[in-house]
Amino acid sequence: MAALGGGGRAVTLLRRGLVLGPAPRRYRYKKKWAATAPRVPSTRLALQSFDMNYGLQLKEAWPSVRVSLLCEQKYGALVNSFADADRVAQELELLNAVDFISGAAQKAQRLQQDSAVEQAGRGSASREAPGERWAVKQAETPPLLSAPITSNIRCYTFPRGDITRFRPARPDTLGILNYYLMDAASLLPVLALNVQPDDFVLDLCAAPGGKTLAILQTGFCGHLAANDVSISRTKRLHQILNSYVPKQIRETVCVTSWDGRNWGELEGGTFHKVLVDVPCTTDRHSVMEEDNNIFNRRRSKERQMLPMLQLQLLVAGILATKPGGEVVYSTCSLSQLQNEYVIERAIEIAETEYDISTRVEDLSHFRALFQDTFSFSSDCRLGELVLPHLTANFGPMYFCKLHRV
Amino acid sequence: MAARLLRGCRWARAGPSWAPPLAAAAGLGLWPCRGSGSGSGSGSGSGSGSGSGSGSGAAGGAELAPLLALGFSEAQALRLRAAPPGRDPQRRLRAAAQLLLLGLSAEAALRALEGCPDLLRLTAGQLEARAGYLRRLGLGQGQLPRVLGRCPQLFSLRRKQMEAVVRLLRERCLFTAEQLTEVLHTCPGVLLREPHHLQLHFQYAYFRMGVQQKAMVKARLFGTPFAELRSRHVFLERLGLYQTPHKGQTQISNPKLKAILHLPEEDFLASLARSTPEEYEVFKKLLAREEEEEEEDDDDEEEEEDDDDEEEEEDEEEDRDALYAEGDNNSDSRGTRS
Repeated sequence: MAALGGGGRAVTLLRRGLVLGPAPRRYRYKKKWAATAPRVPSTRLALQSFDMNYGLQLKEAWPSVRVSLLCEQKYGALVNSFADADRVAQELELLNAVDFISGAAQKAQRLQQDSAVEQAGRGSASREAPGERWAVKQAETPPLLSAPITSNIRCYTFPRGDITRFRPARPDTLGILNYYLMDAASLLPVLALNVQPDDFVLDLCAAPGGKTLAILQTGFCGHLAANDVSISRTKRLHQILNSYVPKQIRETVCVTSWDGRNWGELEGGTFHKVLVDVPCTTDRHSVMEEDNNIFNRRRSKERQMLPMLQLQLLVAGILATKPGGEVVYSTCSLSQLQNEYVIERAIEIAETEYDISTRVEDLSHFRALFQDTFSFSSDCRLGELVLPHLTANFGPMYFCKLHRV
Repeated sequence: MAARLLRGCRWARAGPSWAPPLAAAAGLGLWPCRGSGSGSGSGSGSGSGSGSGSGSGAAGGAELAPLLALGFSEAQALRLRAAPPGRDPQRRLRAAAQLLLLGLSAEAALRALEGCPDLLRLTAGQLEARAGYLRRLGLGQGQLPRVLGRCPQLFSLRRKQMEAVVRLLRERCLFTAEQLTEVLHTCPGVLLREPHHLQLHFQYAYFRMGVQQKAMVKARLFGTPFAELRSRHVFLERLGLYQTPHKGQTQISNPKLKAILHLPEEDFLASLARSTPEEYEVFKKLLAREEEEEEEDDDDEEEEEDDDDEEEEEDEEEDRDALYAEGDNNSDSRGTRS
């Protein structure tokens, strides 16, 4: 990527928030009016590109991921805690759906108990042979494991191998909808964010609003700033907030339409938690839908500039975090260029340009809790990657947590 | 004449203890033989040489004897009498005799009569005529009894329908005569199929999978149900292991049709697809659902969903009118050539 090559040019571009062209138009392929089908549809171009890149990256695992991307995806039903949540949960359980978050919480408790027992055991052993046994490393209980996952978020999915669909959400007596259908893997970045009571949270690319809604479901948000550069997508965000969230809670949300890359300069160091869910090549959408497909030849420049855009957004997100705060970066693509590469460069730039040191949080324990529901990649050197699998057709979803020191 | 016909037949080898079954039948006055007389007594005497007439009950014995004379064992004769119930025993006897004459073994004839009661509606002449038609299609001496034994419904099939299928295979699908014979020999059920569906099956293999007729014949394409072919092929295609051949583009080498169709599922998954049974199960369910919804969409004529997986194919085939011709629902007409 030429744009990310020389350090000097990158710095200039980052410093002054150079506008890289207007906001992209909607590239809608209008089948009714088109005289002929596109000669090579964008979906096929996308698939060819993925075959080349992911074939090398995932090697043996790629065919399994490929067939899952080309088949119908699996949804999860995010229960709206502002509606009659218990009744909704009961209805969903009658259908044999399972709340995977509570399942993970139970698993976390069990593991904690086991490790506590282990520590006690070790403690007694060391009393017997103090010299040698004490060299044994203490079991570290990582923060995400010790803080139980009582995020109040409930999301139901059908078990592995079950392809039943959820019915569309229905409004209850107050007019708000009972659940929100989304890709269940999208909840993992929100869970990793681990919102604590009275946190200030920033969602830098909030539209269309699934993750924003999930953050609100925790009930812990002191203040939520939801931003998206596109005004039309922000409208969708408003719609979702209106349909799901009662007025009182909506007042704690501030929806804006600024360019997220400038956020660092506008409000640096003000948020406890920042979620940066950047625009990406949306792998699943790109191989299935012709509309708004980023692999359309007219958008190839936009697509090539994506990693640069993602980098800028992440750095802005880091700048917006308070010291001691946390940033979660997430994409819905498998590409290493958009995932690990961006994280590494952002850490570097934050260090060199802004004198901010960040460290990557280890999420492997977090991953272990959700291994029954999702299929994770084991080759990720930074962050976690949910791979689509026919029995668990969620994702792709990459997320990585950074802690600002 | 009967003797000449019997020369190739296996019972001729059996020796003098076997009264030629036909002679026995002729002796019973059942056979519409041209030359022989109607000596009723002569045949039955030799027939009872197998010594079973005395064993069965009085009423049954009279019926069993001619069956035994034809060459059935006692157990087989009992089965034959039992199924189908309530039918005219004379007709049953005639049908059994004709089947044996055509070269089917006793067991095969028995199974045919048990499985396909319609046979009894037909006269021996009709049975013979149908066999003749199949012989003209190229099925030889050894192949014909096998085909008829495996697929006795061929006898009761309407002639026009059978001709429509044959015409489809020769003129639309462009199989050669030898290939047609081979297809009939290996998958006789193909004649029973509805021509439109058969054409779809063929077109899928030819255009979508890029398989030529020769490979289709070798792989016995029509022996496997279309749904199974489709699910295995689409699975391989979405895994990236099968690509519709395109002229002038380097392609991966596709697995052979024979391997795709004939491997049992575990071997198919282990060696070709390199995938797990759980994934394949879920995939089949998803594919079935996709197909259902495609049909609904076609029925409603809505075009909002772009869900079909046909994006992969953009073949520029040569201009072969016959292959392109849309299947006509009326199997009798010549159809419209596009």
